[in-house]
Amino acid sequence: MNRRDFLKGLVGTSYVVLSGSSVLAPLNALAASGADASDGWLTTGSHMGAFKMKRKNGVISEVIPFDTDMYPTDMINGIKGLVYNESRIRYPMVRLDFLLKGHQSDTKQRGDFRFVRVTWDKALGLFKDSLDLIQTKYGPSGLHAGQTGWRATGQLHSCTSHMQRAVAMHGNFVKKVGDYSTGAGQTILPYVLGSTEVYAQGTSWSLILEHSKTIILWSNDPYKNLQVGWNAETHESYAYLAQLKEKVAKGEIRVISIDPVVSKTQQYLGCEHLYINPQTDVPFMLAIAHEMVEKNLLDNEFIEGYSLGFDKFLPYLQGQTDGVEKTPEWASKICGVSPEVIRDFAKVLTKDRTQILMGWCVQRQQHGEQPYWMSAVLATMIGQIGLPGGGISYGHHYSGIGVPSSGAAAPGAFPRNLDDGQKQLFDSTDFNGASSVIPVARWIDSILEPGKTIDANGSKITYPDIKMMVFSGNNPWNHHQDRNRMKEAFFKLECIVSIDMNWTAACRFSDIVLPACTTFERNDIDIYGSYANRGLLAMQKMVEPLFESLSDFEIFTRFAALLGEGKAQEYTRGMNEHQWLEMLYNDCKASNEGKFEMPSFEEFWKAGYVYFGEGKPWVRHQAFRDDPEINPLGTPSGLIEIFSRKIAHYEYDDCPGHPTWMEKVERSHGGPGSKKHPIWLQSCHPDKRLHSQMCESTEFRETYTVKGREPVYLNPEDAKKRGIKSGDIVRVFNDRGQLLAGAVVSDKFPQGIIRIQEGAWYGPVGKDGSKEGGAEIGALDSYGDPNTLTLDIGTSKLAQACSAYTCLVDYEKYQGKVPAVSSFSGPIEIAL
Amino acid sequence: MRWLLNIWRTLTKPAKYLTLGTISLSAFLMGIIFWGGFHTALEATNTEEFCISCHGMESMPYQELKKTVHFSNSSGVRATCPDCHVPHAFGPKMARKLEASHDVYGWLFNTINTPEKYNAKRLEMASREWKRFDQNKSLACKNCHQYESMKWDSMSKLAQKQMKRAAETDQSCIDCHKGIAHTLPDMGTARAPELIAEVGRGVSGLQVGQTYFSALTKPLFFNDKTDVEAGTLNIATKVKILEVKGNRAKIGIDGWRKKIGAGRVIYYDFGLNILSAQLTKDAALEEGVIKTFEEKEDPMTGLIWQRVEADIWTDSDYLLSDLQPLWDYAQSTYDTSCSVCHTQPAPAHFDANTWPGMFQGMISFVNMDQDTQALVQKYLQEHSSTFDKSAH
Amino acid sequence: MSTDAVNTEPVEVNPVNQVRSTIYQLLSSLFAKEIDHKTLHDLTSEQAQNFWAQLGSESAFKADVNILVAELATLNTDKALLELAADYCGLFLVGTKFSASPYAGLYLDNKPTENGDEPLLFGEQHQQMTQFLKQSQLQVQSEFPEPADHLAVILAYVAHLCIHSDEAVQLSFIEANLTNWLSRFVDKVTEVDNGNFYQALARLTLSWVKSDAEWLASELN
Repeated sequence: MNRRDFLKGLVGTSYVVLSGSSVLAPLNALAASGADASDGWLTTGSHMGAFKMKRKNGVISEVIPFDTDMYPTDMINGIKGLVYNESRIRYPMVRLDFLLKGHQSDTKQRGDFRFVRVTWDKALGLFKDSLDLIQTKYGPSGLHAGQTGWRATGQLHSCTSHMQRAVAMHGNFVKKVGDYSTGAGQTILPYVLGSTEVYAQGTSWSLILEHSKTIILWSNDPYKNLQVGWNAETHESYAYLAQLKEKVAKGEIRVISIDPVVSKTQQYLGCEHLYINPQTDVPFMLAIAHEMVEKNLLDNEFIEGYSLGFDKFLPYLQGQTDGVEKTPEWASKICGVSPEVIRDFAKVLTKDRTQILMGWCVQRQQHGEQPYWMSAVLATMIGQIGLPGGGISYGHHYSGIGVPSSGAAAPGAFPRNLDDGQKQLFDSTDFNGASSVIPVARWIDSILEPGKTIDANGSKITYPDIKMMVFSGNNPWNHHQDRNRMKEAFFKLECIVSIDMNWTAACRFSDIVLPACTTFERNDIDIYGSYANRGLLAMQKMVEPLFESLSDFEIFTRFAALLGEGKAQEYTRGMNEHQWLEMLYNDCKASNEGKFEMPSFEEFWKAGYVYFGEGKPWVRHQAFRDDPEINPLGTPSGLIEIFSRKIAHYEYDDCPGHPTWMEKVERSHGGPGSKKHPIWLQSCHPDKRLHSQMCESTEFRETYTVKGREPVYLNPEDAKKRGIKSGDIVRVFNDRGQLLAGAVVSDKFPQGIIRIQEGAWYGPVGKDGSKEGGAEIGALDSYGDPNTLTLDIGTSKLAQACSAYTCLVDYEKYQGKVPAVSSFSGPIEIAL
Repeated sequence: MRWLLNIWRTLTKPAKYLTLGTISLSAFLMGIIFWGGFHTALEATNTEEFCISCHGMESMPYQELKKTVHFSNSSGVRATCPDCHVPHAFGPKMARKLEASHDVYGWLFNTINTPEKYNAKRLEMASREWKRFDQNKSLACKNCHQYESMKWDSMSKLAQKQMKRAAETDQSCIDCHKGIAHTLPDMGTARAPELIAEVGRGVSGLQVGQTYFSALTKPLFFNDKTDVEAGTLNIATKVKILEVKGNRAKIGIDGWRKKIGAGRVIYYDFGLNILSAQLTKDAALEEGVIKTFEEKEDPMTGLIWQRVEADIWTDSDYLLSDLQPLWDYAQSTYDTSCSVCHTQPAPAHFDANTWPGMFQGMISFVNMDQDTQALVQKYLQEHSSTFDKSAH
Repeated sequence: MSTDAVNTEPVEVNPVNQVRSTIYQLLSSLFAKEIDHKTLHDLTSEQAQNFWAQLGSESAFKADVNILVAELATLNTDKALLELAADYCGLFLVGTKFSASPYAGLYLDNKPTENGDEPLLFGEQHQQMTQFLKQSQLQVQSEFPEPADHLAVILAYVAHLCIHSDEAVQLSFIEANLTNWLSRFVDKVTEVDNGNFYQALARLTLSWVKSDAEWLASELN
């Protein structure tokens, strides 16, 4: 049959075909979905800073740092990829088996099975039906909607506030206390120094630069970590680090980095390195204290006037209570620092004005309370707390702490809580005898062992029997420890809902997945500089929400509408996005009236920002030092508590009444478990991401991955022994799990230590690298998420915080079948 | 709640045109007498032009009014100066005219003729106006806005709730709606305007022998006359009135102190770091100020505590007969401010002595003036697991 | 009767071009969304059976047409339709380079720029297609919130061109925007499809486009 005849033959039959459903429509300037919107430069920002963005043909075409940002992070290059990447959740979706069988679905299919697209109405309806079912059948203890974390910036659209307010309108649920970053620190320090310290404004950098002669960076990498902030980061801290670098070069300030590895900050400053074995800070500190007592280097007057309990600590230090004198010789065997260096270091600390800057890593390990407590004791013995350029800080690497606060009032936010008198659909507060609030990192325990009672910070916690979880802008498959244990727990959950912008592992392990738009697809305002509060930033919508994604505000307004007549109105308080922004701005303006000049909302929005100016330098704990009676610390006694009777009275074997060295369940360099798995895994905060945020930004990710995989940093000798060179694919493993990562061999990493930065997206495939079996226990992680390997135990009965840094592994050159990376796809099986 | 106030600002429109009452000849004469005959027209002293012509008003308060809904709104009806500031009944109007002479003197003697000077005096002037509104339960407002004729349906649920509560007690509008027509005065960072708007400025006519609660952190004085401060009374602290003289009251503060330093700090109860008052060294040592009682060792710190009562003077304002409004305000502030970044822990999640550490550790993220900070901390402590055993 | 829903002023259409347009339109529709009850009804009606039979009479299309017809016949339960929807979802709605996203930009090499590679979603191909549509006074439906380089958009545009432009224009568009990446896409679908329907549809699309391009070329000679 010739072609023309064939086609003619079709003429008679083809008219059946699908009436009027073309994907094309006549061009209509008004209906043009974003494509014809006015192009040009707009202002916005994120955790990574403030930027200007160019919109061209309805698409974000350029992102450049804000004029005032002198030290922008190169993460800015990943911003476009955050919006336009293939992991975007495009439509509301439901796991097929869940759609068919609801709460009786096969939960073992989660993680690698099949989704179908549904309408928003259908998805939200299923969400609400599940909540109904849980509240009816189990009550509020069956629902955990409190597992929240970093969100996208913006005071109005904060995803956790929206989710929790809306879900609370439906009914009550289990919540968390604490966070993964500073769980042990924020729990112990109120007993010792009377505040969380980790989130408190610190002594201004300018005073540190002026007065300090010695600065100790203790497992602290500010140059890496200050790239991001809780609000739009101003990066002003970097100007001070630049000055510090100069002073180091001129020999005016001595900076010593105490760290198992050579940090990015150390490399930048060109400062000294004091190597210490992982997890052995406490023995090192105890030996310093011992030496200070021996050589009478301590400030007795300060100890006497400002602290309590040194007399109860001293017998331990001198070995009278446990028969072990905490000498430099004793410590040296554990921490790997020679007795001479320890002795000398005690002199260095006490010789002149010394500022200790603690990082957060050392408290993310078993007994993580101890190094923080002991460091406060050291600072007390030095006696410079409350002096400019002296004492101790636990936050100078975070969100611009140390940049003086402007003092202006910051804007409010969309409420997380119910309004006074708002009625819930289910108002039961009966948690079946279980706790309604659990320590943040213990939720997997709770799912696995409901009804179990544990100690936590002086209370008893009884684990609720959790059946449903709701995650919003939150990826627990990044921040929680031990993936295979998580899988076991997830099998027990009846329903999981995730609201996110991209297909995180949490979404892939969910039943209902709802697409939220990115920060750049809605209008908002943000504080410019979390602690500096340098001003307000207009976050101007760059493009309309992509695909069928919606803002969190819109998602939960629609959800609230399902809760009954007038509920959507109640949810929004009758205001739309614009009205909220205007109100938040005007309230802020009113609070600043007479103190900080703020233009009208319209003028602010047009300008894109308002500045509050600079703050005054300030010294942490100065008021306490000036008058400890009138300005007591928030400790039980009002003084620094070297010995805490309160903690002692809890009678916890893993957190006694004074700082104590306790062996870890796993420790490298000769410690427990190091024969079987000799390598310590350091899973620090990433250099090129904010936790797991931006890992999905494809092109930016490709600037640092190795063979498409997360880099694992290896010591040259260790690598050589295993026949590995840079660029190889490495299998890292222990009894808990296994992952593939790309080797980067570097002399910055001493023997027995590897680094894989947290925030690498989990992408499980079959145990042997085959495409089947990613959802199974023991699966191989194809990309390199370190929490595949980490240990899921509490730091102690006190904080019950995460102990990710207590983790031993081994590694080998990967010889098996190399699987494609499955982390960044949707829930589809992987072609090999 | 400020957001509520904003809703109110946005939604509320004058219900009807406000007609001026008949102008009395006496008022006119009063005007002439006091203003020295600048105007001769009969209606002059009760019109806006008259007010703004000489009250030092055109540049500041009138310009501020022009930005508000009371000046410009969709109904086209607007409130003029006398609508709010001159009583509509004859007697009060006369009294008010006499009062207004202050402002004219101010203008004549150049005390409010520049924005700076005006702002410096703003709190004083506003306080006088608020007091006047308070005394007649905001009658001037109610001439246009009556509780009975409010459109409840068009209010948000929350606004309804607040407004109905107010209606039940025929509450003074200005209690919540300060700053609705003019810029709020700067009441100082430590003066918590929103808090005061919520709880009021204290009861008038303190009764000796009765107990009251401080609505702000208040200065203490050695006697009924001196301005020499003897310390501070913390917010939300219970005091007993021992004596009243003029605008000062002698109060008794019961509590406990730690036997460290000069023993200047008085706490709520034994072993609890809930601040009641701080005395200066001189005051703590002054004969008759502190009466001491039994001593006990705190097992949690090993510190010795001593029961005390301090008898000392303070201004008689900002003392409330009821503590609950302070707690209500503290609770709502805590719930709103402390949930921006995370779920706020329930007050009973920590004990009274843990809260200062937790609260102080997070305060850098929160906007609260010092009074509100002190209040919220105290609220958390007094609702902590130390008192509320229902947690966990 | 034209199925070109957006054709407001039809030129005199030759029936052959009309048929070609209709087939492009059909393929576009099948890639644009999941098969629902109504579509299923349309595709399995008696007239549709005739259409499939006629289409299958061409040997290049026969195998895949047979698969499609057989698969359509199995879609007699809601569950079967949902399973097919899950196949669709896994292939076209959630995937990446490792599934079979239907965006031309993902299959065409991108020019590296100074700041590194440009994101592929809503990238250059999307811009180019948007311009093509604009020239024809068209845009992507607001109910279809996808980039303009989505296969369904490109096929629908060819359907439009079949009626509104000459054969040379059609051929050059197809060569510049479809045949240069379609086979890679089809390979991917065939590789990763859980079921049979979409891989058959993808192969049929490729065979159709190829033979149509050949025909256009022969017509032009």
